[in-house]
Amino acid sequence: MSPSSPITVPLRAPVYHILLALVRGDLHGLGIAEEIETASEGAVELGPGTLYRSLGEMVEAGLIRGAEAPHGDADPRRKYYRITSAGKQLLAAETARLDRLVATAKARQAMPEQA
Amino acid sequence: MTPRTIDGHRRAFTLLLRVYPRWFRDAYGEEMAILFGRRLERAREEGGVVRLWWRTTKDALATAVALRRPGRGEQRSHGNDGRGMGMDTLWQDVRYAVRHLTRAPVFTLGAVGLLAVGMGANTAVFTMVDALLFRPPPWQNPEAVVHVYQDSDEGDPSSSSYPATRDMAASPVFAAVAAISPSSAALEGSEGAVQVATEYTTASYLTVLGLAPLRGSWFGPEHDVAGGPPAAVVSAVAWRSRFGADPGIVGRAIRLNGQVVTVVGVGPEDLLGTYPPMVTDFWLSISATVVGGPFQVANLERRQDHWYDVRARLAPGASVEQAQAAMNALATRLAEEYPELNRGRDITVFPSADVRLHPGEDGGLFLAGGLLSALVLTVLLLACANLANLLLVRGLGRSGEMAVRTALGAPGVRVARLFLTESVLLAFLGGMGGVLIARWILSAVPSMPIPIPMGSAMSLEMDARVGLFSLALVAATGLLFGLAPALRAVRADVAQTLRDDGRNSSVGRGTARLRNLLVVVQVATSLVLVLGTALFARSLGALQGVDTGMDVDRLAFVRVNWNGAGLSGEEGVAAVEDLVARVTAIPGVSGAAAASRLPAQRAGSTTTEVEGYTPAAGTGAVELDFSMITDGYFQASGIPLLEGRAFGDDDVRGAEEVSVILNQAAVDRFWPGQAPLGRRLRGQGSETWTRRVVGVVGNAPVVGLGEAPRPLMYFSHRQVGGPPAYLVARVDGDPASVVNAIRQGVTGARQTLSVSAQGTLSDHLGATLAAPRLVAWLMGAFSALALILAGLGIYAVVSFSVARRTAELGIRMALGAHRGRLVSMVVREVVGVVGAGVVIGVGVSALAASRLESLIYGVGALDPVSFGGAVAVLVLVGWAAAYLPARRAALADPVEALRTQ
Repeated sequence: MSPSSPITVPLRAPVYHILLALVRGDLHGLGIAEEIETASEGAVELGPGTLYRSLGEMVEAGLIRGAEAPHGDADPRRKYYRITSAGKQLLAAETARLDRLVATAKARQAMPEQA
Repeated sequence: MTPRTIDGHRRAFTLLLRVYPRWFRDAYGEEMAILFGRRLERAREEGGVVRLWWRTTKDALATAVALRRPGRGEQRSHGNDGRGMGMDTLWQDVRYAVRHLTRAPVFTLGAVGLLAVGMGANTAVFTMVDALLFRPPPWQNPEAVVHVYQDSDEGDPSSSSYPATRDMAASPVFAAVAAISPSSAALEGSEGAVQVATEYTTASYLTVLGLAPLRGSWFGPEHDVAGGPPAAVVSAVAWRSRFGADPGIVGRAIRLNGQVVTVVGVGPEDLLGTYPPMVTDFWLSISATVVGGPFQVANLERRQDHWYDVRARLAPGASVEQAQAAMNALATRLAEEYPELNRGRDITVFPSADVRLHPGEDGGLFLAGGLLSALVLTVLLLACANLANLLLVRGLGRSGEMAVRTALGAPGVRVARLFLTESVLLAFLGGMGGVLIARWILSAVPSMPIPIPMGSAMSLEMDARVGLFSLALVAATGLLFGLAPALRAVRADVAQTLRDDGRNSSVGRGTARLRNLLVVVQVATSLVLVLGTALFARSLGALQGVDTGMDVDRLAFVRVNWNGAGLSGEEGVAAVEDLVARVTAIPGVSGAAAASRLPAQRAGSTTTEVEGYTPAAGTGAVELDFSMITDGYFQASGIPLLEGRAFGDDDVRGAEEVSVILNQAAVDRFWPGQAPLGRRLRGQGSETWTRRVVGVVGNAPVVGLGEAPRPLMYFSHRQVGGPPAYLVARVDGDPASVVNAIRQGVTGARQTLSVSAQGTLSDHLGATLAAPRLVAWLMGAFSALALILAGLGIYAVVSFSVARRTAELGIRMALGAHRGRLVSMVVREVVGVVGAGVVIGVGVSALAASRLESLIYGVGALDPVSFGGAVAVLVLVGWAAAYLPARRAALADPVEALRTQ
């Protein structure tokens, strides 16, 4: 199998959301989905295929890795994910990119000013 | 439409999961179902189940498609879903195959080499068989051309007498009748003489074939009578090869057998001769029969001499049946006119399409062609079987990869195509190599001492037909050995393969047994061939070292053509002695003599009665080889005089008795333990004992090296026969250095003399071994091929076994088994198979050996050295072929080996 190509900025939205979800701590797949939904107030809902396909690719790309389940977890079969330092760097890079983008947009007054 | 119940929704989602590749489903399906379930519950509470299904389905389809793209995920540009059959896909397959093949150069080179040999042999044999048996003749309306044969004494269709061909030509059923007598002659040039293939034929020849000469003209009526101007037509092939397509050839005079003949034309473009693929160099007119000597001229009038083949063109409107009826009438008439010669002698007409070379020989030719084709085809099939096995072995290593490809959505067919592309690519490369090998074989064939009718050159061109054959061969071969691995790829259970890497599901018992049987057969065949090679090689070595009883290394010879000199009796004797004296005078020559035959050469024999000796069977006479020699022959050639005297001045024509000298073999046969001198012999039917033994000399090879001692009788050239053809010179130093001087001495002595052959005696004796040498070479080549095939077969069997037992071997290693012991454990598995092959091979060889006895010299057919050597070679090859995969398995990391399960 040819190794999957490295994930680079700009990140696809699901990847960004997953990284964002894992910044606060290890989660399993279902937890990630819920965290994303919660954080976006239901605006972002990753489909199951997109979620798990992205997780697989991100593990391959070294952005996240499998982690041991926290003590006392109900279902030890569930696979937990932890963000790696590479993942954190990429998250930072993407956030900075978005930040610059937003700054540019603001400078050009692309956003309607809130009163 | 959405399902009513939670369970219904869940079942529907499970169905939806099937759009994902299996591996993805296996890895995440469960969690995906849970996620979907949670969202479903929420959607039922809040509403929006339909929207959830819509989004989930869209997500599933998009992801599934993305997952199946090559380099899935990020690369979306120009992937395809693996089902494409266009050129892009083909190129992708080819690129993939090339990459994969270059990654295993040893395998690739080996496979290509093996296929090249197999296909080269097939292409060469096809070319020969096609040229000999199937290529259509270049004549006009060949369906109107017939062959006409007078019966032989045995009643089989055979050649005709020249007068009979004139009778046939008089029949109105034929538009034209041509008589053809194949022969050969020495063409003299500035660089000595070369032997050329000739056909004596009539002016009607080209009319029969419906062809026109390329240049100049064909023979006319004036050339059809003995005593007319001798004329020749050079064939288009010989015009190019021997005369550099010189346009000035027409009208030039050439010397054939010392006779001057005028070239009147160049033959038709595509006509090789009457007996393709043999190439005729010159057609000679009937008036040129003097080139063939007095007998060739005399037989033009003799109805008892049948020297001519007949080709005829039917008259317009005449049928083969009508021609046959006319020839029946002619046969009846001839039987009445010449009852003692022609009673019961039929004349038969064959359509030319029904005869290839000769009605009596075609059957044998087709049989030989069929056998040869079957042989090389078998070799190729064995090569294919072994390569298929090897590809399967390699496929085991790749089954994981292939399964992933299938899981990623490459349909089984596509994966199978990858295998087929690879095998066809190998076959294609092999086919290209095969064409080169075939060219090499074909260029070597004409110089092989195989008994072809005229001893002339063969034209074996590879044409479009051969090209088509080779292409078909490539396609068939590629499919043949690629099909098994490809089919396995299609059938393979992906999940099973992914789980256990396919190592358990690889072979059924039936295929394993078949594979073992294949190895047994190949080992046995190889053993027989290796043994045969050993016997022939040892026999050849013995022949080369055989004691000839003469000073072979110091002798040179030339063959003198006396035909043109027209010397009789005493003139001839004087001319020979003059030549001997001239040769003796050449610096470096310490002695010279003439003889009518060289050692180890079939030549004249005479039916002789021997006083005091009655052969066990027959007419009371023996067929005795003889040689006419000049006085100094024994001294010059180093043959020792054992008893009595050599020839001298008293042995002259007209003496009361003819003196003969016998070799020791004759004395041992006729009068063992008794005094031979003074005993008498006579020609069969002679009234008186006219020949008296005056001396006995040592044995030298009579008709061949390594022969059983064979009686030989020497005459003095002064008493018997004409001038001996061979001048033999004893040389101080390298005999090759004086050969040209001897030739110049001969041609300088008389204008009318020519030299038709020359060389050293060592060369001559070496050339007599050409046939056994060829046999040894061919046997050796086939042995090498058989050994390679057998080795590959063993290699495949062991590799399979190793692949099946990876886990077991891993456990044994983990438990501390010694690696060497593991290797021998695996190798031991094929001992039985190889052993069975060896035993069968030895058995077959021992049974066949008695038939070999007469073909080999100086070594017994059950020669223990050869047998032992052959068995050793087979065991060695078997061991090496088994050891390689076994060692690889034993060197593998045990943890890795275990993990694969």
